[in-house]
Amino acid sequence: MLKRSMRAVFELADTGLQVAFGSRCNPFAQLGAIGWLCFWVVCATGLYLYVFFDTGVTAAYASVESLTHGQRWLGGILRSLHRYASDGMMLVAGVHLLRELAYDRLRGARAFAWITGALLLPLLYVCGITGYWMVWDRLGQYVAQTTTTWLDVLPLFAEPVARNFLDAGHLSGRFFTLMAYIHIAAPLILLLFMWVHIQRHSAARVNPARGLAIGVGAMLLGLSVAWPALSQGPADLSTVPAVLSLDWFYMAVYPIIDRDGGAVVWIGAAVVGAIFFALPWLPPLRRPAPAQVDLANCNGCGRCFADCPFGAIEMGRRTDGTAYEQQAIVDPDRCVSCGLCVGACPTATPFRRASTLVAGIELPELTVATLRERVVTAASSLQGPQRTLVIGCNHGAAVQPASPSTAVVAVPCVGMLPPSFLDFIVTRGFADRVALAGCRAGECHFRLGDRWTEERIAGSRDPALRARVPRNRIVLSWRGSGERAARRADLAIRSGEEVSASVPARRPPIARLGAGRVALQATAFALVALLIGAFSVWPRYRQIASDAGVVKLSFSHSAGRREPCAKLSPGELAKLPINMRVRTDCRSVELRLDGRLLYAGNERPAGLQHDGPSSLFRQFAVPAGPHLLDVRMRDSGRTDGYDAEATRAVQLSAGQSLVVDFDNATGSFAFR
Amino acid sequence: MPVSLLEWRDEFRIGIPEVDQEHRELIASINALHAEVGEGTTTEAVAGFLGELHARIAAHFALEEKVMRARRYPKYNEHKRDHERLLDEIREIMDTYESVRNYDQAMLSATLSVWFGRHFRTLDAELHSVLGGHG
Repeated sequence: MLKRSMRAVFELADTGLQVAFGSRCNPFAQLGAIGWLCFWVVCATGLYLYVFFDTGVTAAYASVESLTHGQRWLGGILRSLHRYASDGMMLVAGVHLLRELAYDRLRGARAFAWITGALLLPLLYVCGITGYWMVWDRLGQYVAQTTTTWLDVLPLFAEPVARNFLDAGHLSGRFFTLMAYIHIAAPLILLLFMWVHIQRHSAARVNPARGLAIGVGAMLLGLSVAWPALSQGPADLSTVPAVLSLDWFYMAVYPIIDRDGGAVVWIGAAVVGAIFFALPWLPPLRRPAPAQVDLANCNGCGRCFADCPFGAIEMGRRTDGTAYEQQAIVDPDRCVSCGLCVGACPTATPFRRASTLVAGIELPELTVATLRERVVTAASSLQGPQRTLVIGCNHGAAVQPASPSTAVVAVPCVGMLPPSFLDFIVTRGFADRVALAGCRAGECHFRLGDRWTEERIAGSRDPALRARVPRNRIVLSWRGSGERAARRADLAIRSGEEVSASVPARRPPIARLGAGRVALQATAFALVALLIGAFSVWPRYRQIASDAGVVKLSFSHSAGRREPCAKLSPGELAKLPINMRVRTDCRSVELRLDGRLLYAGNERPAGLQHDGPSSLFRQFAVPAGPHLLDVRMRDSGRTDGYDAEATRAVQLSAGQSLVVDFDNATGSFAFR
Repeated sequence: MPVSLLEWRDEFRIGIPEVDQEHRELIASINALHAEVGEGTTTEAVAGFLGELHARIAAHFALEEKVMRARRYPKYNEHKRDHERLLDEIREIMDTYESVRNYDQAMLSATLSVWFGRHFRTLDAELHSVLGGHG
């Protein structure tokens, strides 16, 4: 399936990154955190840029230019950083999303982060688009015109917003002040949503590992120096920017808007959005029973609360009348049934025999008593010199016991296993070795299972594995679902071989940076930098043919209420071109180019009573050269003839933008 | 009927109701379990008793540690280390009794009494003097 192949691609990339970066700095395991880093870089650089930015029609461009060239080594670099970190954030957010999708980490308790994360994308988009707009170079002009036609599809504005960008006379410096405010407000809302996005993840990672942060920073800086972000010439509303370098991270849909209209993109966005929102509840849907607290065995020590990766446990007031102050309370909606709470519970110890073994917190589908039973049963079947009991989860590489000396017990997450079970298995001689087989390091399906397991074994987290348990009898194997061979190798360590190296002293130390590793990392960063740098300007986009200009027909005009449209007779219908055979003749505006009909339509007056002004904004690419433009409008109840007509011979040069407007004061058409 | 293994004394009181309550219950249940394990009982029963004791004490320590952290008890680390040592020791005792054929109740009683009482009398009393006095 699609998800499986996506997962395979990610695993492959992961393996490569693991080699280059080691598990602590693997960028794929901390994409969200890199996104946060990019956000802060954009914020910090933005503050500086804001100091020098002027909000005027010509001042905006001029201020950015002087920033870019006047202070090449500060403003210029900060501007580039601002752009590339924004692109980086989009890239990272996209990969982050695909990754969570590929690993199906969006159901149940994770739906919250999935939905809030999806909501971040349009916000990020707004931030990026307004940023490009403000520069008011030719790209800003293009962004303004295309964005406004896109927005005008929605029945939000009484008058087309696009009319603001008809020509320089329509444009006011206030607009740039407004843009600056939006460009500051949107990131603030973005930050709020980013904060909400991680609310239900305990110990959410918002700072990448230091080495990685330095690497990302150096990459962005290097890119900014080597390939500074530049403007594309001042905006000029009397021309059409025919060829532009689009930032494809933010403007990928813009050519579609140009070609197929804004409605198509809105519908596409709505469909994609609806799919995103539905994904967490689409099959295959299986919801294991949430964890349950047993008050007779809970004294409110709070260890489950500390270890729950999704904040599903809360310490609340005691309800059973005992002297204990608190008890654990599970929110079933947030519980993912990973069992990390069980692994943390001090009463979940297999040494208990006098009473029925019930832990303070239990997974109904796999109780601690059942787990002990399975461990004992599996262990009793073991034969051979190096009897290995594998306790593995279903999310990493599968383990197939190859010989009678290996047996497997499945758990939802390796972190479900209380350390006392390791003690029990090893010191009571149930097996010679216990192998814990979980997801790839830092990639636990339940976020923190591998980390808590390692820390408990290392003795740095409660409940700690007792120091007396020989660590060389414990093997950790963190392998993704695509790494079966590697897992087999992990588990195939021969009898007597020293395996204590597989248990880290505490967190794995930062791997020493050998020359080979540096080279690999540098290559990885260079490739990402190239990707960001390239797609922020390339491939170039040709908006209209090189030998064409644009004719814009636009006006906002109040008319008396119109009569209903006239019905056409079948004879009249037959005379019309086939695609224009509408039963009613509603044309009240016509634009003809060299006698050919470019546009004909009946503009509906705005307002609930339909008594407001009628507005129109359309643009047409027209080959350069001499043309005869003929425009007519009927705004009274008459059924034939026109109230205003104009014919003009024009000489359209390539890249020129010609506006046909209706001047309400004189009641005649104007060509500019 | 053997004498109580441990006896609750008022001087053990820390002044935090939930901790005191658990101390009291712990002593009561240890005594009850201990009473059930009469002279000449099977190794199985003794191991069961010790296993239960181990779980309850581990849980009790977890709670006590939470209380100490919440109240920023200055000697937290020292106290916590002693908890870990005690848990290591009871695991030693458990393993010893797992393989013992002839169970000597008097000796186990003495061992446990020393094991548990010392922590009570020294470190928990110190906890009392710092955090207690108002309960």
